[in-house]
Amino acid sequence: MNQNDAVMWTEKYRPKTLDEIVNLKDVVESLKAFLRKPATMPHLLFAGRPGTGKTTIALCIAKQLLGVSWRSFALELNASDERGIKMVRERVKTFSRYSRGSLASIPYALVILDECDQMTSSAQTALRRIMETSSHTCRFILICNYSSKIIEPIQSRCAIFRFSTLKQEDVVKHLKYVAEMEHINLHSNAAKTIVEFSEGDLRRAINILQTSAVYEDGKMINEQTILRVVGQASPKQIQLMLNKALSGKLIDARNMLYELMTTYGFSGVDIIRQMHRELFRLQHLSQKEKAELIGVFGEYDFRLSEGANEDIQLSALLAQLTRFSESRGNSANG
Amino acid sequence: MDNLMWVEKYRPKTVAEVIGNEDAKASFTNWLIKKRREKAVLLYGPAGIGKSTLVYAAAHDFKYNVVEMNASDIRTRKAIMKMAAPAVSLSSLDEFSFETKGNLLLLDEVDGIFGQQDRGGVGAIVKIIQNSRIPIILTANNIEIQKLRPLKKICHLIRFRRVRIPLIVAFLRRICQAENIPAEKEALEILAQNSLGDVRSAINDLQTFCESRKILRKDDVQFIPLRNRGFNIYDTLKGMFSANSSVEAMKILNNSLIDYDTLLLSIHDNLPLHYKNPEKLAIAYEALSKADVFRGRIQNEEWRLLKYVFEFLSQSTTIAPGEFQPFNFIFPPTKRYLLMRTSAERTLLKTICTRIGAKCHVSQKTANSEYLPFLKIIFRKKSDQASQLAKWLRLDNSSINYLKKTN
Repeated sequence: MNQNDAVMWTEKYRPKTLDEIVNLKDVVESLKAFLRKPATMPHLLFAGRPGTGKTTIALCIAKQLLGVSWRSFALELNASDERGIKMVRERVKTFSRYSRGSLASIPYALVILDECDQMTSSAQTALRRIMETSSHTCRFILICNYSSKIIEPIQSRCAIFRFSTLKQEDVVKHLKYVAEMEHINLHSNAAKTIVEFSEGDLRRAINILQTSAVYEDGKMINEQTILRVVGQASPKQIQLMLNKALSGKLIDARNMLYELMTTYGFSGVDIIRQMHRELFRLQHLSQKEKAELIGVFGEYDFRLSEGANEDIQLSALLAQLTRFSESRGNSANG
Repeated sequence: MDNLMWVEKYRPKTVAEVIGNEDAKASFTNWLIKKRREKAVLLYGPAGIGKSTLVYAAAHDFKYNVVEMNASDIRTRKAIMKMAAPAVSLSSLDEFSFETKGNLLLLDEVDGIFGQQDRGGVGAIVKIIQNSRIPIILTANNIEIQKLRPLKKICHLIRFRRVRIPLIVAFLRRICQAENIPAEKEALEILAQNSLGDVRSAINDLQTFCESRKILRKDDVQFIPLRNRGFNIYDTLKGMFSANSSVEAMKILNNSLIDYDTLLLSIHDNLPLHYKNPEKLAIAYEALSKADVFRGRIQNEEWRLLKYVFEFLSQSTTIAPGEFQPFNFIFPPTKRYLLMRTSAERTLLKTICTRIGAKCHVSQKTANSEYLPFLKIIFRKKSDQASQLAKWLRLDNSSINYLKKTN
């Protein structure tokens, strides 16, 4: 194995320096400029969809800035795991205040705060103060999906970088590179199918590839492989739940929802995304009907982020689906 | 001066003095003094309308000695047998005196047996009723509880309704006269209306307002908040689902002792049981969804938004007024129950996702949605990669087995 002993390909083939990053030219160039004169680097805010390289670039910066022992000087936190003001107060504050004057080899410590759009606004307000008071000892790299969910004062203290969705050909190129390194047979149609299912999310694309490789165990990976792997990876309960709701059995559908949320630990956002995918695979709905449902999904997706109980919002969505199927006078034979 | 609570001081002593519920009164006395086809009777209806009072009044009129157990007594099978068994089977000391016909067993608030500690209580009561030679009277606020089913089968059921407002007004007036406090008619009406037919609470309110006054005017009671009579979860759910308008449902909500998060989840649980029509159910869920959104927006800070939560909650239960059909309420909230039941599984899941998160720089949530489904496929395949991955992620056997499990 090479310098990296990682077994998960997303880690094994994660770029280690900014030079290894092929796309995102603008972002990479400005960041390289900062790295040449670290003192000039402001706090950074990375915004973009999942699997577009935000965390990867943050880690590249940490490694290049802090050297081999970067793990000692960078605090990597995920706000979705430890959200809330307590996390900011306890972990970030202690870490960022810690003086590193005696360690002249590094310019400052680094806090990488991933998924920080998951933080409550009061936690963000606390964070804002800490960013201000600790700027001579510490820099922050904030990572989020939606910069609109970050409070204004933080946005204004950061250089904001937007990560656009990866181009299809870039994803294909990377998949082929990984396949070559791993000596696996990847049919070019299969690569395209992976790209379709991963929706610009490189992490997902690589996970599909690795799983397909295990699935075929040395044999050629073709389009069928990908379809099977993706099909198995999407929970069957979601499809069943949809069918129940669309055949008027709301209570059954809701019981499946409870199961998905408790036994399987899925978040509401995960479930609605999967439901959305499944819905559009349903054969018996017309384009117009699907379009009608998009609006309903969008509304409840939004309410998920504002509401207090995800199961209430998703059940309400299921109730709308039941009404929809009832009003169209027939049902999916769930 | 005596310092008796007025509810005690003016509690009717005879059946004739008990106000309202004439049919129920007649039915009950009929059962008590004529031959009893059922050994026990179950008086049910809202709190404070005279169920227990009627029992004592009838015991007075017909010379029974009341042996009472209520919700505050422990309701285990053992406790019930210990206390009730002698009363129903052995001769009472008074049996041969001419003063009394014997004992009468009153089990007050049997719906309280429903609690966790009362295991076997219902069964014990059924047994006592079957073997009893004396009249047994049970009271309850809510008989829609599943556990009470065995009792409903063997008891003669008598329903009590809220006492009508004019009757309460008249009763309050008699008290005022006895206490020598002049009261304006409107003041008594407001108190009576506010009681929602609960005589006991009306009397309590009257005493509260008269305590510091020599005369009771309309203005004194104009702005009283609705009594905190504290509806329990069943009263709340039943009241909200059977309300004829959202305004009525809101009143019940305002008087409920249940916290709004539990309420949100409970209404959520019971909504599909109440609305069979998909159209109405969808509308109701839409309102509930909005209630939940406002609950989310409050975030423990903006409590002024609570009124919107209440408004939408009240709407969600009253989409189809007049169509209420009693059903067995789901409680406690399914979600909480399931979270408890599946906590071991989720702990394991969390351990796995934390390991993945640490190695792959993602949150546990992302690990669950983006890595776990693929790892499950890989682990089902029993490949070299699977064992290497297990080692790399430092997964123990139970985690590995979890991943291998189909689905």
